[in-house]
Amino acid sequence: MAASTTSQVYIQVIDDVMNKVRDEFVNNGGPGDEVLKELQSIWESKMMQAGAIVGPIERSGAPKPTPGGPITPVHDLNMPYEGTEEYETPTAEMLFPPTPLQTPLQTPLPGTVDNSMYNIPTGPSDYPSAGNEPGANNEIKGGRPGPYMQPPPSPWTNQNQNQNQRAPLDVNVAYVEGRDEAERGASNQPLTQDFFMSSGKRKRDEIASQYNAGGYIPQQDGAGDAASQILEIEVYGGGMSIDAGHSTSKGKMPAQSDRPASQIPQLDGPIPYDDDVLSTPNIYNYGVFNEDYNIANTPAPSEVPASTPAPIAQNEVDEEDDDDEPPLNENDDDDLDDLDQGEDQNTHHLVLAQFDKVTRTKSRWKCTLKDGIMHINNKDILFNKATGEFDF
Amino acid sequence: MATFELYRRSTIGMCLTETLDEMVQNGTLSPELAIQVLVQFDKSMTEALETQVKSKVSIKGHLHTYRFCDNVWTFILQDALFKSEDSQEIVGRVKIVACDSKLLTQ
Repeated sequence: MAASTTSQVYIQVIDDVMNKVRDEFVNNGGPGDEVLKELQSIWESKMMQAGAIVGPIERSGAPKPTPGGPITPVHDLNMPYEGTEEYETPTAEMLFPPTPLQTPLQTPLPGTVDNSMYNIPTGPSDYPSAGNEPGANNEIKGGRPGPYMQPPPSPWTNQNQNQNQRAPLDVNVAYVEGRDEAERGASNQPLTQDFFMSSGKRKRDEIASQYNAGGYIPQQDGAGDAASQILEIEVYGGGMSIDAGHSTSKGKMPAQSDRPASQIPQLDGPIPYDDDVLSTPNIYNYGVFNEDYNIANTPAPSEVPASTPAPIAQNEVDEEDDDDEPPLNENDDDDLDDLDQGEDQNTHHLVLAQFDKVTRTKSRWKCTLKDGIMHINNKDILFNKATGEFDF
Repeated sequence: MATFELYRRSTIGMCLTETLDEMVQNGTLSPELAIQVLVQFDKSMTEALETQVKSKVSIKGHLHTYRFCDNVWTFILQDALFKSEDSQEIVGRVKIVACDSKLLTQ
């Protein structure tokens, strides 16, 4: 059946539904005729988007212009349109309203107006190019940190520092933690810390050469793994205090064991090779069996993952178990048990009809259908009669 | 007149159902009135297929799955060939859902 005929049938169905339900919409306190027209327009637009209705909707009962009535003007695209309406010519102020100029202001540090402390890169030389480019300047500029930022010293490791001499913080400047006013006055470095490195990428051999032979990188942020002195917890009658750096005779809990504090031995997971010490530990395949039960069309695995067998005692007699027989569904070739499984949702081919008769002779099926709709290859085909012959 | 809700799964039925859902959620339409529209669509679609459609189709293919439950036949065909008067379509996998036509005449 042609698509135009299908469109005509669909339009007639829409009109018939609208005419039959008009009483419920208009009478008995219904929502009104406007809602009915809105329903019809949305329905038709969805049908056009789906491709079920092709071309403009032509209704046989369309209102024709009455003779002698007012003639609506038709603006032909081939003729120059001379409109009688006057439109306001858009000016520059209408199209582009003036926006206030926003001047960025720099907040100076308290007590100084020297702009040299703002380490703002102004030229291409302040952004060093990557090290693998030819002619790249890989030198570390003076006044900038090394290629690997050193961790800020902890406040309890340098207890002789005077913490009361901190300058008030300015949110526009990234302070280097742990420097007091005396150090700032002595050094010529700017007070901001530039976080641009000398090269675009860090390489593993560069990192390993900076540190000890084991290739261990010291921790640079967060809480430390091991403290440099004994950390103890004193529990009194009503409270608890944590002391660092001095010893008492009350129950000590040393944070250090006899193992060296620089490296914690690996206790679980696969042991990497020597050249992979610095790489990400997640690259190793742990062999975890992962099955997602939330996906609707995920087929079940063919075999349940076997657990680790328990070691057999030596005095146990080897017996032939009955569990060694293969599963009952081993020879099944029906890998699509569900009806909807394996169907591509974009090309969902469907036939909706009424059956008159369905017969089977051995593996030969015959059926007669009527009054059906076929949605095949993104096309709707309507039929009055259909005969089917299937071999099972 | 007895009707099937079968045709609501077609393209025109799904478009109507989506439209009614949107209007009910917006509050412009009551759920009772939306159900009345769907019931009328079942009647209009059945009547249009009986009176206005005259084409005939033949279907051939390999029957992968069959099911008969609640007077509804469900077939899944593989490598199906659809022949109509003016076109021919080959489909790798198609589902046929058919209700008993005798239930409408009772």
